[in-house]
Amino acid sequence: MNSSRELRFVLLGVAFVGVLVTLLVKKSERIRGAAILLAWLVPGAGHVLLGKWKKGLFFFSILGATYLFGLWIAGFRSISWDDNPFYYVGQWGSGATFFLARWISVQKAYPREDLPPSWFDPGLLYVCAVGLLNLVVMLNVLEVKRPARAAAPAAPDPVPAALPKEPPPQPEVPA
Amino acid sequence: MTGISYLFLYVPICLVIMLVLETCRSDNPRRILRRSFSNFGMLTLVLTVGGALVWVINRWF
Repeated sequence: MNSSRELRFVLLGVAFVGVLVTLLVKKSERIRGAAILLAWLVPGAGHVLLGKWKKGLFFFSILGATYLFGLWIAGFRSISWDDNPFYYVGQWGSGATFFLARWISVQKAYPREDLPPSWFDPGLLYVCAVGLLNLVVMLNVLEVKRPARAAAPAAPDPVPAALPKEPPPQPEVPA
Repeated sequence: MTGISYLFLYVPICLVIMLVLETCRSDNPRRILRRSFSNFGMLTLVLTVGGALVWVINRWF
């Protein structure tokens, strides 16, 4: 695939999602749109932005480890379009894998000599699965309940209830 | 054995998928672990039984 055409295609998709979220999401929830874009760029970053840093860190570490393991099997050369177009497109699910793929997939991935050759395809699958799982993580950003802010102090009651009430006026008794 | 050793790679990727999906659903780590492993076990059981069935059919029928 033409490299600049691919970049334009993916960035247009990301911009489209950004516009869609801006139009559909309430103004007070606009941060969720930014979180989705951030979640695409770095797995788990969207959750961190919304205050769920433990979940975000978990997603980042587990997806990062899976991606590195897949890359290790494929000789630290990411899948190129020529290797397998379907696995390559799977990497578009995350910005980190997308940009890394553009950067290091110029050389063709190859089966390592120290590993069984049958491991090559699962290695490509691992790298692709990370991109696809990140799409699920991005969608989950829509359901994250943000931690409640500290309750604002209540406004002082204009008529304190503790104050003694004035006795009702006594009716005047005619003499 | 080296020919089918790639089958062992099924375990980590399957666990990763189950863990990510369950983490999206729940906030409770114990529940996430329990459900991930039970789903992994069930999927493995179904695949194994299915594979055995296909093997039996190919072998004797």
